[in-house]
This record gives sequence, C-alpha cells and structure tokens, in this order.
Amino acid sequence: MSTAQLAAAPPSLVAAGRRRTAWLLALAGLVALGFVLDIALGPVRIPLAAVVKILLGQAADNPAWAFIVREIRLPKALTALAVGSGLAVSGLQMQTLFRNPLAGPSVLGLTAGAGLGVAAVMLAGGSGAAGGFAIRALGVGGSWGLVLAATAGAALVMALVMALSARVRDNVVLLIVGLMVSSVTGAIVGLWQYFSAPEQIQEYLLWTFGSLGGVVGPHLVVLAAVVTVGLGLAFASAKPLNALLLGENYARSMGLTVGRARTSIILSTSLLAGAITAFCGPIGFVGIAVPHLTRGLLRTADHRVLLPGACLVGAALTLGCDCLAQLPGSQTVLPLSIVTSLLGAPVVLWVVLRRNSVRSSFS
Amino acid sequence: MQYAKGFTISYVAGGKLVTILSPFEQKTTATRYLLVPRGAGRPAGYADAHVIETPLRSLVALSSMHVALADFLGAADLVVGLGSFKYASAAPVRQRIAAGKIYEVGQGKELNNEELIAHHPDLVMATGWPGESLARFQTLEAAGVPVMINSEWVETTPLARAEWVKVLAALLNKEDLVNRKFDQVARSYHRLAALGHYAAQRPKVVVGLPFKDVWYVPDTDSYLTQFLRDAGCTYAWDQARAPSGSLALSFETVAPVALTADYWLQTGTAATKADILAQDARYAAFAPFQTGRVYNNNRRTNAQGSNDYWESGAVRPDLVLSDLIKILHPELLPSWQLYYYQWLK
Repeated sequence: MSTAQLAAAPPSLVAAGRRRTAWLLALAGLVALGFVLDIALGPVRIPLAAVVKILLGQAADNPAWAFIVREIRLPKALTALAVGSGLAVSGLQMQTLFRNPLAGPSVLGLTAGAGLGVAAVMLAGGSGAAGGFAIRALGVGGSWGLVLAATAGAALVMALVMALSARVRDNVVLLIVGLMVSSVTGAIVGLWQYFSAPEQIQEYLLWTFGSLGGVVGPHLVVLAAVVTVGLGLAFASAKPLNALLLGENYARSMGLTVGRARTSIILSTSLLAGAITAFCGPIGFVGIAVPHLTRGLLRTADHRVLLPGACLVGAALTLGCDCLAQLPGSQTVLPLSIVTSLLGAPVVLWVVLRRNSVRSSFS
Repeated sequence: MQYAKGFTISYVAGGKLVTILSPFEQKTTATRYLLVPRGAGRPAGYADAHVIETPLRSLVALSSMHVALADFLGAADLVVGLGSFKYASAAPVRQRIAAGKIYEVGQGKELNNEELIAHHPDLVMATGWPGESLARFQTLEAAGVPVMINSEWVETTPLARAEWVKVLAALLNKEDLVNRKFDQVARSYHRLAALGHYAAQRPKVVVGLPFKDVWYVPDTDSYLTQFLRDAGCTYAWDQARAPSGSLALSFETVAPVALTADYWLQTGTAATKADILAQDARYAAFAPFQTGRVYNNNRRTNAQGSNDYWESGAVRPDLVLSDLIKILHPELLPSWQLYYYQWLK
C-alpha cells in the first residue's frame, strides 16, 4: 500500500489500525504484568517489596530470597519470554508457509529431531541393541551435552528438510515429510526406551515434559541470542509471508523469490524451535495455539501486525502458564508442557468456534 | 519378623509358609508360598499357596538387591540368571558372568519368558511395583516356573529392608546362618545408631540432585530418612509425607535449605564437584559446595556402571550408617574408612 493510498484509506481502516495498536499496547502491558507475577509468585512466599528490592540490586533481608529471585525466578521468567515469543512466531510462520492451520513448530520434525538427540545421550548406551551407541559412556553428560545433542538432532532433521524442500515444490508434501520424519525418530526413541533401564527412561520422560528451570547463566545468553536471530529473520520475512498467504503462484507473480523466502522461513523456524527444544525440552501447544489466538484478537492477516502480536501473546501465555505451573502455595511444580496444553486447547477452541471459520485466514 | 512388615514366615506341618504382602493394592493382598522339602509331597491345606521345593538349586535375580541377598548367604553360585549383566557387583557373580554361567533375561516388563522357561530355574525373584501383581508372570507360572515378588524397597527402615534376606534363607534352609549374620548386622547397626542419636552436633543435610525443576527428596517413611535420623543430623523433610516414598519438590523449595546446609549427600552419578557444576552452575552457591562437604554414595561403582551401594548396601545397613556417621561426625568413628560414600573433590 503506497502512502498516497494510505492517505486515502477509508476511516474504517484507520479505526482498525488504531484498534490493533491499542491491542498490541495492551498485550505488551499484559506481558509486563505476567513477567512481574512470574517473579513474584512461587512455592516460597517472598513479599513483593522484597522482590522489588532484590531486582533493583539492593541487599535482601534473607539471602535465600535473593538467591531464589535472582538465580531461579528471574532466569525462568526471561526464558519464558524467549520460549513464548520464539515458539509462537515459529508456529505462525509454519502455518502461513504451509497454509495449514494445523501446522506448528513440531511439524517439520524439528522437535522430534531434538528429542532424538537427547534420547541418544540419555538412553543409548544402555543394554541390548543400543549398546553400540554408548554415547553416554563417552562422557557427554551434563547440561551442555544435552543442549548440543538436541541441537544436533534438530539440525540433522533441518538439513534433511532443507535438502528435500529444494527438490519438493509442494508444501503439503513437505508437511508429510515432516510428519514421517517425526514418526521415524519417535520409533528410534521408542526402541531405545524399550532397551533402557527404568531410571534412564524416567530422566528422559522428565525432559519430554518441558521445563524452563534449567536455563541459567551462559545457557540463557545463548538461548536469547539464538531466539533474537530467529525472530529477526522472521520479522524480515513479514512481507514474503503476506505474499505467501495468497499462494506461491500469486507470490511469484508479485515478484517474490519463493525459494529464497521459503529457505529463510524454514531457517528461522528451525533456529527458534530447535534452540528452544534443546534448552527447555518440547513445550507443547504454544506454537500451534498462539497464532490462532493472535489472529482472533487482532483480526488481521497482515504479518507486520501478526508477528509482534504473536510474540506478545506467546510470551504472556507462557508466563501465565509458568505462574500456574508453580502452583502458589504448593511445594511442587507441574510440568509446563502439561499446563500449556491444558490451558491452550480450550482457548483455541473458543477462538476457532467464535470465528466459525479458520480457513478464511489462509486464502 | 523383627523389623520387616512386608512378609511373614511360619513353620507349618510339612514345610514353611512364606506370606508376601503387597503394599500397593487398595486392600492389602498377600501371596503365599509353601516351601516344601524337595521330593516331599504337597501337604494338605493352603490351596492358594504357590509351592516351591527347597533348598533352591538355581535362582534368577531380577534386581541387584536379590544378588546381594544371595551373596550375603554365601550362595552367589546359585544365581543362574540376571535381569541385566550390568547390574551386579558381587565378585562371585561377576566371575560367573565372565565364565558364561549366567544368562540374561531382560528387565521390567520385557522378560524373556522363553529363555526362562527353557532353563527352568527353581525360582525367579522379581521386584514389586505399584499396580502390578503376580498376574504379569502368569506365563511363567503356567510353565511351572515359580515367581516371588520381593518388595523390599518399600520397607521404611534400613534394617527392615535388610531383613528380607531371611526370605531367601528360608528358601535355602539357611535359617541358622541368616539369624547369626543378620543379628550381627542389627546389633552393629543399633550400636552405631546410639552413637548418632547422642551426637552433640546435628548438622543440616540436603539430599539428592535435582533435574531441571524437580528435586526428589526422601519422605518420612523412606528408609533413607531413617538412616539420616540414626546418623544424627537435621533433615528438613523428616516429617513430610508423600504417597511414593519421595517428595517431588521444586528447585525453589529445596534451594533455601541447600544454601545453608552443612552437608550435601547423594548427588546422583556425580563423581567430582565439577560433574555437579556441569549440570547447573547455580549449585556453586550452596554452602556445602563451597565448604567442600559434598559426599556421594558411588565409591563402589564398577566398570559396568553398577553401584554396589544399591546391591550389598541393602543388606549391610551397618556399613552405610558407619559411612554417614563418619561423614557427619568424624570424631565419633575416627578410624573408619568410607566404604560406599566418597568425598567429592
């Protein structure tokens, strides 16, 4: 839309633009509120005044409180920001690229690939058939080992998908490839589990529940850096994404280099979903639910609005879910992935049923 | 039995009656085994009881604890099958594995029934889990291979857990030996516990290593908590109760305790402080980490990765308690050398 056209835009469009800006501001406020709540709430009761004091760098009355706020809650809340915005944006990109409302960051098999990498470290090296792959025995333990393994798994799947996407022109075929890759990696993990000791399986199972709590210090820096690069790539793809909404042929007729746009979108999604899964484990539902929620709230298909919107909605939702996962007043934590699914599914149902048609967003 | 609550042994006409209580069922169900001398007929009555001929000549052990029971009674050459070769520490059993005298039958639900039926051992000893009964072994039972569920790990004290060795002794007709040896262990344990109870200092301990957000700590009914009580220390969850024997706490809940604890015990598979730090750099803030009072129970881990603490430690609670007292109150046992535990450098 040129400036001249914009100036001549009817008042209703201007009003819609204002409404969207208001929504984005409200969402940003919600994220800020969620961030504060996530740091203020937890199994250990810490007065809000003490939390603020600690965050401002002042000495705390209780050194344990300072440790909890600075070393546990603050990194967790920052991780929630990165996870929520990263997964939401990667989901939005996938849904547009495949023009399929069911797509999410896991459809390309990235999450499954990361899971395969983690399983290789945690499970293989057990007994029986997997004995030949004694990766654990090589000493690749510890948290960096897990991150590297998950990244390697995700990258392996990404390389496969990229190679195939160069040959396969049809996005639906690519979607099926992703599903099949997930299936195969799932089977390999299953085989390893079958031959593993119960305590190894438990460790892996805990990983698959997803968690924000293990990302601290240099991990958080790396995660934040990768997510920033991924989000940057995604924001740069806003226009190509808008063009792709109308179909590849239409996009091509508008002068878009579809191949390059597709590569950039897949790369961005892989970085976001791969890194987040590597550090936090598979976190269900944010990727598929938030784009629908964002479209429902902002009532637009324009990615220049949807992308920041999805970032904010994803971050707010993840922060909210993490507050719930910590069950204020209880000493236990719930797995984050379960909370996001329990909360996310009804919300998406509500949005979808209210709008009665999702298809309209994709054509 | 003096300590154990999970089983009873009574002497009846023509044999012995061993009753194993399943603690997992809604109403406590009991499985009864009638132990009869080899070749003697089945005595009348006890229609529901499974018959096992004694003394046993061959045993398949599905848990390393069962290996420990056999080794304690000097009957390691009885072991002909194991769930996994990986989980065995006892020297005689390792020698038998090396000599190819033991077969592997798989763990958990993936038992190799054909192998078991082909070898037809005198008894398969299995570990009990919640929600599972003897029904999962019906193929073996139908083939005439007796299976006994041994749920020793749900006992709430170390001595009760160790007392399960009396079940195997009854199967081997080694009651005299077991009474002598077990009494010795129990006496030694009580003597040590008295030391621990009267210790002047009660250092604060934190146990275990969290994974991401979850930190499992033993609850009031765990035998590990009893060890800590007997060793004379302050343990924050001494009175807490959980249905499964351990509490799944958030990192944040345990951290304040760990920050100011005097000792940190049982740190997973870590063999050095660097191993702990590699998992999460925040552990460096814990007081025991800074003062160098971190001890793990994996000193006796063999090349296969099997930790003897989980094997012989189950029948030698006196040695475990000696270690704990030596760690927490070094002045009380000056000449004791740590056996299962090691100081993490």
